[in-house]
Amino acid sequence: MRIVVLLSAGRYPVSDRPALPRLEAQAIALAQSLAGETSGLHAGTDEAGIADAFGHGLDAVEMLDIAAEADPVPALAAHLKAHPADLILAGRRGQGGEDTGLVPYALAEALGLPILCDVAAIAAADAPGAMRFDQALPKGAKRRVTLRLPALVTVHPLAPAPSPYVFARARRGVVRHLPGVSEPAKAAPFEEKPYRERPKLMRKAGAQAGEAAEKVHLHPDPDEAARLILDHLKRIGIRRYS
Amino acid sequence: MTRSRRDPRTERRAHEVPAAGRPRFDLATATPPTRRMRRDPRGEVARMLVPGTARPCIDRGQTAAAEGVTAFAAAAAAPKAPEIRVVEAPAFLVFAVLDAPEGRLSRFDRQVLGAARLLADAGEGGGAVVALASRAVEGLGAAGADRVLDAGDSARAPATGADDGAASRTAAAASNDFVATAPARPVDPAAQAANLVALVQALAPRHMLFPETPDGGDLARRLAVTLGEPILTDVEHLTARSAARAARGRRREQAGAPPRLMTLGEDRAADYAGIACEARAMPAPPEASPTAAAPSDSAFLSAEIIPGDPATMSLAETDFVVSAGNGVTDFEAFRALAAALQATPGASRVVCDAGLMPREAQVGASGTVLSADCYLALGIAGAPQHLQGIAGCEHVVAVNTDLHAAMVERAGLAIVQDAQLVMPALLKLLKERQS
Repeated sequence: MRIVVLLSAGRYPVSDRPALPRLEAQAIALAQSLAGETSGLHAGTDEAGIADAFGHGLDAVEMLDIAAEADPVPALAAHLKAHPADLILAGRRGQGGEDTGLVPYALAEALGLPILCDVAAIAAADAPGAMRFDQALPKGAKRRVTLRLPALVTVHPLAPAPSPYVFARARRGVVRHLPGVSEPAKAAPFEEKPYRERPKLMRKAGAQAGEAAEKVHLHPDPDEAARLILDHLKRIGIRRYS
Repeated sequence: MTRSRRDPRTERRAHEVPAAGRPRFDLATATPPTRRMRRDPRGEVARMLVPGTARPCIDRGQTAAAEGVTAFAAAAAAPKAPEIRVVEAPAFLVFAVLDAPEGRLSRFDRQVLGAARLLADAGEGGGAVVALASRAVEGLGAAGADRVLDAGDSARAPATGADDGAASRTAAAASNDFVATAPARPVDPAAQAANLVALVQALAPRHMLFPETPDGGDLARRLAVTLGEPILTDVEHLTARSAARAARGRRREQAGAPPRLMTLGEDRAADYAGIACEARAMPAPPEASPTAAAPSDSAFLSAEIIPGDPATMSLAETDFVVSAGNGVTDFEAFRALAAALQATPGASRVVCDAGLMPREAQVGASGTVLSADCYLALGIAGAPQHLQGIAGCEHVVAVNTDLHAAMVERAGLAIVQDAQLVMPALLKLLKERQS
């Protein structure tokens, strides 16, 4: 099985220095837990950030050289059409660009592959040519999806932690430069300006308080109190015990 | 609020006596005041005196407020008929695609509806907010939805046949079996996106808002790629004229007029707080029926949802926390109760300091700040630092011996009783109901 991990030219959020985003390091660890050969793929100009990927366990990275302001999707799509992969892993949002998280979706559309977001674990499935993916949902729930390969999946922060950084491996890694298709990016209809922090809404305490008449119960019998609590929990719909 | 000012000229004219020569006034006659009456603090105290006591005893229970104040309050709180806002012929549509986990509107869903309402009201001619959610979800009208469109199962869902919002809401509330029989949305996200694309092409909404949650964000991005339209994801600032989002590692921001597709960040838009809208059920256009849009050959073989185990979940991600404070001494019963209630156990700082619960269980400013929906506080008085930790909880239930505890004031349901007595009663009742 051929696994490709998409790498982005990430920058560390505090220092703004080139760095491998944590999710992509987790994607590498996830790929190496599967039986198959893993390689990295990046389309861009700068290899400073992706060098970290070797330290986290990747042996080879193919870098598609494209113009600085070009759209990476056509280059990636052309390369992956020529060298098809069974499984493509990506972070849920690349870093350093517009940070919209659209590249995996655009790539899946261009390649005609199914895409699955927020995957935290991957295992073999019973069906031939398929794999079982655990999608992380809010509130600790999981969705176990069986998907026929080839497919593109994005990785969730709850995936296994990245393997530790090994300096010697980082020194040994080699970036293979390949010419990429440079198509100019579609001009976004939005204006870019320096970031301005906007305040979030305050979470109001007691926004959904009950009616005043039935709010406080003074010294009820414990059994009556238990009934009141369970009925209230049922009414607000948080759990059903029956 | 500003008080109305006295109008001395009008007051004087009211005293005027018609006469032939120079103007004459009868200042002794009583005329209606042109403004609110002055308070009479001495009179108020005199009326609050409890008769028949040896020393003056004042009942400050607000039972006898000053007449001027009560008259003013009565005028302000005149009973109003429940109003419903009806948008009959909207100039355009604004879609709000809601997650509504477990058939309930979350706070985030309300914010998305509020943002959609803002965009709909600002447009020329007035638009309608269409909530794309199951019709069984309650409170859509109050949250600002004019129409409800069942995106996944409109063709198969039973028609509620309700024209006004109140009727449809009561119908949805009354028929719990509707919730049980209504088929869930298609689990395959690609099929869901195909349904939405068909809806967009049939109804051509001006804006489409998604919550930036795993499911909502996924659908929005699929739609943006399929339709080939620009999208603003995780919008941090939204007005009728502009929307902005962070880009390039939060060093730049992208801003512009609100595009058709947007995903809204959490706590970035206010809920709708106006008159309830009608939330009328809207038939899906025939060309957008799920069967027509469903892809025939899908790589999506199967999906099952494995609910999270509340016992092992971290406090930050759980939806229901049962917490013990200084009023709890029997921690075996407390752990059994948390397991029986299917809730994550938490604790106050005092309990964690005493080593009775692990430090990870601490709720509050120096512990975990919760994002749970419901919080059950057993024997917790509610220190300010603890209340900070539960500020995001929608529903709070308190069991405490002290009526004047801050937690009792914060709670939606407060039981003034010993938590040590209530815990075994709750365990017993849960066992009865589950058997």
